[in-house]
Amino acid sequence: MKYILFLVCFLFYNIGFGQTTIPNTTLTTLNGKSVKVKDEISKEKITILSFWASWCVPCINELDAINEVYENWQETVDVELIAISTDNARTLKRVRPMINGKGWPYKILLDKNQELKRALNISTIPQTIILKNSKIIYIHSGYSPGIENEFYEIIKENSN
Amino acid sequence: MALQLFFFTSIVLAQNNGYLTVGFESNSQYYMDDEKTGNFTEENRFRSNNYLKVDYLISNFTFGIQAESYEPMRLLNYSPNFNKTNLALYYAGYKSKKIAVTAGYFYEQYGSGLILRSWENRQLGINNALRGAKVKFSPSDAFTFSALYGNQRSGFDVSDASIYGFNSEINISSLFKAKTWSLDLGFSYVGRNEVNNNSNFNFNDLTNAISGRLNFYNNNFYSSAEFVSKSNDGIIIFQEVRDVKPGNAFLFDVGYGNKGFGVNANFRRIENMSFYSERNTTGNVYNQNIMNYIPALTKQHDYLLTNIYVYQAQPQVSFQDPTLLKIGEIGGQVDLFYTLKKKTSLGGKYGTKIALNMSYWAGLSGDFDYENFDYNADPFGIGEKYFSEISLEIRKKWSRNWSSVFYYVNQSYNKRYIEETFGNVETDIFVSEATYKIGSGKSLRFEAQHLWTQDDKKNWAGATVEFNLSSKLAIYVNNIYNYGNDDASKRINYYNLGGSYTKGAQRFTLNYGRQRGGLICIGGVCRFVPESTGLTANIVLSF
Repeated sequence: MKYILFLVCFLFYNIGFGQTTIPNTTLTTLNGKSVKVKDEISKEKITILSFWASWCVPCINELDAINEVYENWQETVDVELIAISTDNARTLKRVRPMINGKGWPYKILLDKNQELKRALNISTIPQTIILKNSKIIYIHSGYSPGIENEFYEIIKENSN
Repeated sequence: MALQLFFFTSIVLAQNNGYLTVGFESNSQYYMDDEKTGNFTEENRFRSNNYLKVDYLISNFTFGIQAESYEPMRLLNYSPNFNKTNLALYYAGYKSKKIAVTAGYFYEQYGSGLILRSWENRQLGINNALRGAKVKFSPSDAFTFSALYGNQRSGFDVSDASIYGFNSEINISSLFKAKTWSLDLGFSYVGRNEVNNNSNFNFNDLTNAISGRLNFYNNNFYSSAEFVSKSNDGIIIFQEVRDVKPGNAFLFDVGYGNKGFGVNANFRRIENMSFYSERNTTGNVYNQNIMNYIPALTKQHDYLLTNIYVYQAQPQVSFQDPTLLKIGEIGGQVDLFYTLKKKTSLGGKYGTKIALNMSYWAGLSGDFDYENFDYNADPFGIGEKYFSEISLEIRKKWSRNWSSVFYYVNQSYNKRYIEETFGNVETDIFVSEATYKIGSGKSLRFEAQHLWTQDDKKNWAGATVEFNLSSKLAIYVNNIYNYGNDDASKRINYYNLGGSYTKGAQRFTLNYGRQRGGLICIGGVCRFVPESTGLTANIVLSF
């Protein structure tokens, strides 16, 4: 009996509860190459994952706002933003010209049938996830103007 | 011994920590009587759609379930298939570097989805997951093969037809270790086996669809093409098989971009491409049993008045009357994105961003025989114009705190052909949005909109004010007013006020107001919602 009890305790001890990591879903690059999301996340840098879509106005506001300060961020801390497009076939073809037109410097990955979005239980976009050593340290859903400053504080606090 | 075994397992477990994730979403509404739009006459004023998803991940294995509850009843105009509470989905999966296997319910998409797409969208009431098994094999970077077998989900059950699928992706460029260019090919097969009974027409139970795809990219230039062909299948008109015809679709895309400039053009021709897991569900208003995904290739707008006249793709054969004959659509769109550089006279201090979209869609022309529900489509014949649109978006940041968006849309919406009712609507819409950052997480956003038209319900005006009290808490109020309506009793204000609270991935929103009846469109799929007034609460939790 005590073994069972012990085992149960141990099992719970071992189970990570909640979203502490990113499932290793397959995404696509803009050039159509399949990649595993974990291989795309740098182990050294702090990574920001931004779930967006080309039709989502607040998402674009957020990525435009970060673009304004991104260079400054990268000068002070080792940070990379990966913008994960959840566009489906309707608007997918608009992603590449939009990124070019806006001159966004971000790494872009495509979650065409929303597999990663679903695995992370994301219901609304934009959703921003900040990772350190591949572990989730911060999540925010929705965009409020100026939130980029909060992101920067988190990044600075966690950078070595 | 037992102790040793126990410690051994513990160590193994400790090394391969499992992760349990839980996602919960609840969308509820309390429907109220409204002196302007009428009383709520259906049963159950309080309705709620709830989704609980639990996934467990341990090393290469994943297990999961999704339970859904529509209690005491589903929200208005969701499919009656969504009834009460039940286990909706379950699956178990294994994934290694080269092999992925899933048993139970799964989602899948081949190519752009023209041949097959199973997906979920809770706002639209779509969940056409397949129940069966799927295997994916990637022997090298250059090749991926997958196969599936299953039945399509329909409510808490599955439909009778068996679905078979095979997909292959071949990356030619990786065989050549190319760095500057890339070429991918794709081939797919989808079969649907549904017994053909009660029909005087002769066609196979098994309908076969094949698709071929090509993606090319070289430096700043890229292009792709996709072709789908569907074998002879019964055409359902007025709930009955009236003819037997094959179908096909062709999609072509080309684009070019460099920093600060991007352009993309689509062309698509579709003939008789309705594809349902049960023939007699063809064209159902609840978007149930759909096998493939044919979105409207037009710009997806995000403002209230720009979403009144939304084009929907017309892949189906429809012979409503001798003056309303449809067998498919043909058309395209062009997108252009451009940034006027910082510190130039037009770009200003912060640069100016411009986006232009133009689209044109028409019915496929051909010879029609209304009496026999028969037709012969022209290869590239442009028939009745269904829809055209020009939209221009200019984004400008004025100072550290002020930024704005100007948006102009001109639409031509052939209501007669798109909705199969009557009329044609020509609109001009102007939206202006300004955001002011107050500081320390606070900001204000204003939006003013106007829609001009001499047709249908005439002019509309609208406004939104949104106040972000912090990065977590926001409140808003918006209103659209159909002040131009010829019928004075229909000059209605559709007002809404509400707020949202966000903490991490948890989100609560509350809204009170009057909802405009019409189409709610997400990702090119539209769901009809009736006019309603009431209190709405949405909860999204994730652990």
